[in-house]
Amino acid sequence: MKSRWLTLLAIAALTLTACSDPPPQVHKAKLFTLGTLVDVSVLHPDEAVAQQAVDIVEAELAAINTQWHAWRESPLTKINHQLARGESVTIDATSYRFLQQAQQLAANSDQLFNPAIGSLVALWGFHSDDRPEGAPPAIADINRLLQQTPSMADITLTETTLSSSNSAVQLDFGAFGKGYAIDRAIEKLKQSGIENAIVNAGGDLRAIGSKNNQPWRIGIRHPAAAGVIASVETHGDESVFTSGNYERFFDFDGQRYHHIIDPRSGYPATGTASVTVIHNNAATADAAATALFIAGVKQWPQIAQQMGIDEVMLIDEHLTIYMTPKMAQRIQLEIDDAEIKIIGENR
Amino acid sequence: MTRADYLALLFAALLLPYLYVTQWTGDEAGSAISIMNGSETTQVSLAHDHTLEIDGPLGTSVIKIEDGRVRFMASPCLGKQCIHSGWLEHAGEFAACLPNRISVAVLGKTPRFDSINF
Repeated sequence: MKSRWLTLLAIAALTLTACSDPPPQVHKAKLFTLGTLVDVSVLHPDEAVAQQAVDIVEAELAAINTQWHAWRESPLTKINHQLARGESVTIDATSYRFLQQAQQLAANSDQLFNPAIGSLVALWGFHSDDRPEGAPPAIADINRLLQQTPSMADITLTETTLSSSNSAVQLDFGAFGKGYAIDRAIEKLKQSGIENAIVNAGGDLRAIGSKNNQPWRIGIRHPAAAGVIASVETHGDESVFTSGNYERFFDFDGQRYHHIIDPRSGYPATGTASVTVIHNNAATADAAATALFIAGVKQWPQIAQQMGIDEVMLIDEHLTIYMTPKMAQRIQLEIDDAEIKIIGENR
Repeated sequence: MTRADYLALLFAALLLPYLYVTQWTGDEAGSAISIMNGSETTQVSLAHDHTLEIDGPLGTSVIKIEDGRVRFMASPCLGKQCIHSGWLEHAGEFAACLPNRISVAVLGKTPRFDSINF
C-alpha cells in the first residue's frame, strides 16, 4: 500500500513539474521586405528578447534591400550606371565580400548563376514587383544582349574598387541576395543570443538549432499541385532553398514564361520544374538552386559537384524526381507514385 | 479497488487532455487563417463560409472562405500570383499579394511543418 501511494505522489510531482515549466513557444513575425514576405520564427523563453532580435533582423534586411535593389534607385543601380559608362566604382568592405562571394559562385557554376545579366532580366519584365501581362521580348532584342555575353568573369574586384571590361554587365542579385540576407539575419539572431530559429524569405530558409529538442520540420512545396511533395528535418544549421518555375511567371498566348532566365539562350530555362538544395550557407544554396535549375537534368550533377553541393532534389517537367544519395537518405516523400532516380555516389 | 487505485485512475484521466494537447501531431487541416494587411494581423475562423474584402495600398483584395478552405478571388495586382495560388486548406499553407501587401496563412493547432519551402 505504501509503495502505491509513493507511485501516486511521483506521478503527481511529475505532472505538476510539467505544468509549471512549459517549453518556450515559437515567437513568429512576418515582415514585408526583400520584395517578399519574410517569416521569422524564434524560440526563446523571454518574449521580449525574441521580439528585440526580430526588430534587429528587420532593420538588417531593410538595409540589404536598400543596398542591393536591382530596379528601384539604390546604391546598386548607381553601380550599374557607372559600369555602363565604363567607370570604376569605389566599394566598401561589406560590398567587396558580397561581390566576391557572388563572383566565386558564378565561376563554380560555369556562369549558369549569372548575376551580370540584369539587362536581360529587365528585358523580360521581371525588374518589377508586379509584371504586367504582355508579350515576351522580341528575339532580336534578346540576341542583341546575348551577343554581348555579360558575366561575372568580366568583373575585376579589389578590396576597394569594382570595374568591368564589358559595359553590358548590369548586376542583378535576385538569385543570391535573398540567401545573403538570410545569412545576415541568422548572424544577427545568433549575436542576440538566439540559438533556435528559422528565417524564411519567400519560401527559402535557413534554420538553426531545434524546436524544444525536436528538429525543425520543413515541407517542400509540390511544383505542380497544391500541398507539399516532400519534407525534411533540419539539424544544427542548414539552409533549404528551392527554385521553381511556379514562383514568378506570366502567361502569353497559352504559354507560360517563368523568371529563371538561362544566360545561354536568353529564355526561361526549360525542362526543370523545381530544384531544392540543402547547404549550410544560404547564399550558396540560393545561387546553386538557380544554377542547377538552369543546368537541367543532364548537367546538374556536374554543376552541383563544382559548387560543392551534395544534397539536391531536382524535379523535371514530367515530375520525375532526381536526387543525390545524401538527399535521398534524409528526405521524406509525401507522395506515393513518384518516379525517383538517385544520381551519383556518396561524397 | 482501493481509494489509491481510484485516485491513480483520476490522475490518469486528468493527464490525458494534457498529453493530447502536447503530444498529438496528427491534425493537418487548418482551423483558422491569419490575414496580414501591411503590419496588421487578423485571425479569422475557417468554420463559416464568407467573403472578405480587404483594402491594401493598391486597392481591394477579395478573399473567400468556403468549406474550411480559403483563397484569393480577386486582387488589384497585375501578375495575379495570389489568385493562381488557389485554395489553401492545410495548416502552414499561405498565399500573398505582395504588391497589395496582403497575405493569408492557414493556422492549425499542430501544423505538420514548422516552415514551408518553395
